[in-house]
Amino acid sequence: MKYVYYPGCSASGTSKEAEESLQAAMKALGVEWTELEDWNCCGAAVAIGTSYLLSIALPARNLALAERAESDLVTGCSRCFMNLIRAAHYTRKNARVREEVNELLAETGVQYSGKGRLRHLLDVIINDVGLDVVAERVTRPLDGLRVAPYYGCCQGMWTYAQFDSVEDPHCFDQLLATLGAEVVDYPLKTACCGGTLSMSRRSVGANLIGDLLAAAGDADCIVTACPLCLFNLNSFQGEAGRIKGTHFNIPVLFLTQVMGMAFGLPKKALGLQRNAVPVDGLYEKIAAGAAVSSAAAGASRPR
Amino acid sequence: MGAQVSTVEKPWTLQTPEHVLASRDLVGNDFSLCYQCGLCTGSCRTAYAMKYTPRQIMNLLQLGREDEAVASGSGLLCTACYSCMFRCPRGVAVTDLMGAIQRLSLHQKHADPHIQRFYRAFMRTVERHGRFHEAEFLVRYYAVNPLRLRSEFRLGLMLLTKGKVVLKAPKVKSQKGIAAMFRKAAEIEGRP
Repeated sequence: MKYVYYPGCSASGTSKEAEESLQAAMKALGVEWTELEDWNCCGAAVAIGTSYLLSIALPARNLALAERAESDLVTGCSRCFMNLIRAAHYTRKNARVREEVNELLAETGVQYSGKGRLRHLLDVIINDVGLDVVAERVTRPLDGLRVAPYYGCCQGMWTYAQFDSVEDPHCFDQLLATLGAEVVDYPLKTACCGGTLSMSRRSVGANLIGDLLAAAGDADCIVTACPLCLFNLNSFQGEAGRIKGTHFNIPVLFLTQVMGMAFGLPKKALGLQRNAVPVDGLYEKIAAGAAVSSAAAGASRPR
Repeated sequence: MGAQVSTVEKPWTLQTPEHVLASRDLVGNDFSLCYQCGLCTGSCRTAYAMKYTPRQIMNLLQLGREDEAVASGSGLLCTACYSCMFRCPRGVAVTDLMGAIQRLSLHQKHADPHIQRFYRAFMRTVERHGRFHEAEFLVRYYAVNPLRLRSEFRLGLMLLTKGKVVLKAPKVKSQKGIAAMFRKAAEIEGRP
């Protein structure tokens, strides 16, 4: 399978650990891709507040570049994925949008016909690579680690419509279970983290983040499939705790970081030192969990 | 296996409503089809902080009182998560309508100057570099009101110590073309 990869701005900066671990984990799985050449910002959740046309044309330019490269476009950022698929949908469905978007794209010398395929990282891992291949690569199962998968909103609404249930997706659970983790189910797994509100209106953004942290609070860690959610859930636990009258200290990791942990990849390659809430305690929990399960295996071994 | 782009099956029809407010090129039904069930508001995580909830805004639009919706600034709390639009049983393009309200609130300066600056600073870095540039964004965002930076001290320190701030501007070859896209969009949309 031929892919071009779209990192997005968040993974290139404030969520570097997402990008680092993603490259390491996908290499371990033998997935080969090249970075989409000359990609641009998808507009995040900000472009829609300034220009309807740009909110479609900015992501559409990346689709056009992928179309030219004749490859599936893969992204590990759910916000980017949503903007990209929205752009694909709108340019395809509305002739006037298509015309005006292409008028804009002409300024950068590309055109978008609506043909290119767009893939989410989870889709590639589960449907192209396959969970059996992931399982083969696991050398340090996440024994005893209670993990809450945070699917995020963008994923539910547009992303999972492509390959999973919209309202109650389970692909992430399957992946985490394959890594040996104990999956924690909780009510807000597809609720929005507030996106850029954490910067533009902190009190509201942090309140939303607090709701999520509290809902998943029972878990040892939260795992996200979006670099922007990763930044939000990690960086504002202090503010969220103050609003909710409690103290949050829950490690939040990107999905390829936990994959890399289970693959036994070095911490540094996974950017684990960059997570705002330290994640070192998780290794101790896994070691304890492994001891328990090997003791259990020993006890049940026929004599 | 795999997924074709846009397998989303929803009754979002093709419309170009004459109504000025409705995003000129709405993909989806307009607000006239809304029957006020409130599923949008129930799906909205920021509705609690809005003066008018998404359902109320759809109602204001139906009543021709869009000015009130715009002046309320409620659209600025929309995170564009698309939950409301995806769930709407009438196929109303709620999120895109909220986006239209948001744009009008910003253009008509009904938003807090701090929030206006957030949008401007963000999009300006994209216009200048083709990609979002955090360091420049922070300078643009906080330059006018450095006192606000004090509250961001801890965040800034964390980003710096964890090596997450990239000072170097991103390099996109088509940067000039992308800046031209911004100008063209303003021209087509009739913005200053």
